Amino acid sequence: MSHVVIDLKASIRSFLRNKSTIFWTIAFPCVLILLFGAIFSQSSTKYDLYVQNQDIVGGKATYWSDRLIGYLNATDAPFNIQMIDSSVNATDYAITNRLSSLLVIPFGFGTNATSAYFTNGTATAANVTLIYDQSTSSGPIVRSIVMSIVENINFGLSNGVNFLNVQDLTIAPQRYGYIDFFLPGVIGMTAMTTSIFTSVSISAQFKQNGVFHKLATTPLKRYEWILSRTVYNVLITYLGMSVMLILGVAVFGMKMTVDAISLFMVAMASLMFTGLGMIIARFVKDPDGADAAANVITFPMMFLSGTFFPLSQMPLFLQAIARVLPLTYVSDGLRASMIFGQSQTAIINTAIITVLGVACIVIGSWITKWEED
Amino acid sequence: MSNDSTIQVEGLTKRYGDLIAVNGISFTVGRGEIFAFLGPNGAGKTTTVEMLECLRKPTSGKAFVLGLDIAKDQMAIKKRTGVLPQDFYTYERLTVKETIQYYAGMFNSRPDVDGLIKLVDLEDKRNVLFKHLSGGLKQRLGIAVALVNNPEVLFLDEPSAGLDPKARHGVWHLIDGLHKQGKTVFLTTHYMEEAEILASRVGIIHNGSIVAMDTPQGLISEYGKRNMLILKKTSPKAVPNIEKLGVKANYDGPTGDVIVHLNHGVAVSEVLHSLSSSDIPFGELQLRRSSLEDVFLNLTGETLGEEEGTI
Repeated sequence: MSHVVIDLKASIRSFLRNKSTIFWTIAFPCVLILLFGAIFSQSSTKYDLYVQNQDIVGGKATYWSDRLIGYLNATDAPFNIQMIDSSVNATDYAITNRLSSLLVIPFGFGTNATSAYFTNGTATAANVTLIYDQSTSSGPIVRSIVMSIVENINFGLSNGVNFLNVQDLTIAPQRYGYIDFFLPGVIGMTAMTTSIFTSVSISAQFKQNGVFHKLATTPLKRYEWILSRTVYNVLITYLGMSVMLILGVAVFGMKMTVDAISLFMVAMASLMFTGLGMIIARFVKDPDGADAAANVITFPMMFLSGTFFPLSQMPLFLQAIARVLPLTYVSDGLRASMIFGQSQTAIINTAIITVLGVACIVIGSWITKWEED
Repeated sequence: MSNDSTIQVEGLTKRYGDLIAVNGISFTVGRGEIFAFLGPNGAGKTTTVEMLECLRKPTSGKAFVLGLDIAKDQMAIKKRTGVLPQDFYTYERLTVKETIQYYAGMFNSRPDVDGLIKLVDLEDKRNVLFKHLSGGLKQRLGIAVALVNNPEVLFLDEPSAGLDPKARHGVWHLIDGLHKQGKTVFLTTHYMEEAEILASRVGIIHNGSIVAMDTPQGLISEYGKRNMLILKKTSPKAVPNIEKLGVKANYDGPTGDVIVHLNHGVAVSEVLHSLSSSDIPFGELQLRRSSLEDVFLNLTGETLGEEEGTI
């Protein structure tokens, strides 16, 4: 065991002295997160605003409710108005359908508005309720736009007398933004690139420049060295993961859980990709070929495994391909455990990766040779 | 096996398909000896040394290192031997000191790290990363690393290949020092001068077979050409004159030189005396000593190749 610790210390020392490796394993994923997080969080100029109008009299919307919806739906307002059935429970509906905002116009709104309007605000203002998810990027934006539209109505129609009023009702953060989708994907991707690249290129380099040869003349056993490399890859991935999590919370205010399942999944993913890297390394002749081969494996996986975009947005045949790529299960499992709290999905995906991980590392260790015969 | 032989090899063979890399070689290396395997690249030197280091499995034959069987006692052999591979390389981003400590850890040994650094004269480089060392310094560090477990036997594979003359001398000095400490050294080389200077015995290997084995002087006197005296720009009339003394001489038309193949019975002074007494003028004199290079050429009909060990 002491050999593993000695080799691990040497590897970590080497890592800390290698600026480009530090950049690619730590800084690069962070740049990706910031970049994609910024691009996709603010891509929409129109927001979906769901509206439930309960102020129906004789099967028809009352004058004031119809007028309010008209203002919200005006061409210069940034909303796509989506009407929902007036009979459903609005809060449940918003939660179930993961809506970021839902405006409820209650029964009696028209009557209240009329009396408030004609009494110059002496009577109680007519309330509408905005149910919104403050954890999303669009929820608070929608709220402030609705507020300003209502203020404009008050000002324009009754010289600033508040005859219409918006009440807030926030709902639990059950709606997820792009960043929630993206960050676990990047963690999976980092586990993959770190493990495959270090494993492939170290194996190819050590083979070519004779380090394996020298190691083979010492009492260090091959499995001890492989164990050290695997633990190293897991630790480096954890390091990258920690930095990304801090970034996610600090910059994007993400809420997530890092539990035993997600940590175990990351470790198993590292194990699997270390093994895969060793398998690739067996078939390449020199370090250049090793990097090319590692790129051939990691690039398609990065784009086809739902790291950057949800699988559901991809054509069916690509979705079919994604189903055979191991990174898909890593990303899905991490999302399930860290973000969605779907422990069953998380466990199933983690189990798949554990089986694949053990298989890859066993095959990789088996076929990795320090010496030609 | 006898008690004073540290390495004993019997009929060792390594085949790769139809290619026979090492062909049934046998030899012994005595305790405290420097034994050199001399031969061109591809002769089978490295394959042999790697079988002794337990890195390659022989196709047939037996070998014992320190009385331990290379087929069975690999771990015991590794623990008691030190290896300098051809072009020693290690973790690029570890310093000289860290590298020595790393390998010491692999042997669970606690050597005097500073003493080793001093031995290989790397005191002012102790905190320099491996990748920033020159070729000669890398090899010297490799020798220090080969010593971390205080081995009884050292395998040095081409210890000075690719080094400049100064660095090569440094490495030779180091190997000589280890020999004086009583270590048994098995080295491979394609530099005849390295073998001639360092080795107590030399095995000449060619196409996987040992073609001759003896002390360097023994090989030279048995297989080398005689020492030659070259009389620059001298009349061909000198030839019969010199041959009267009982040595062979010949005239080299294109250069105008007379070449005298000396033997132990005739001194240079006798040759010169016979020429002056016959009034045959001669120009510049050159004396050429026979070397292992000649031995190799005589035995194999080939030269040792590219850069021979001229200093």
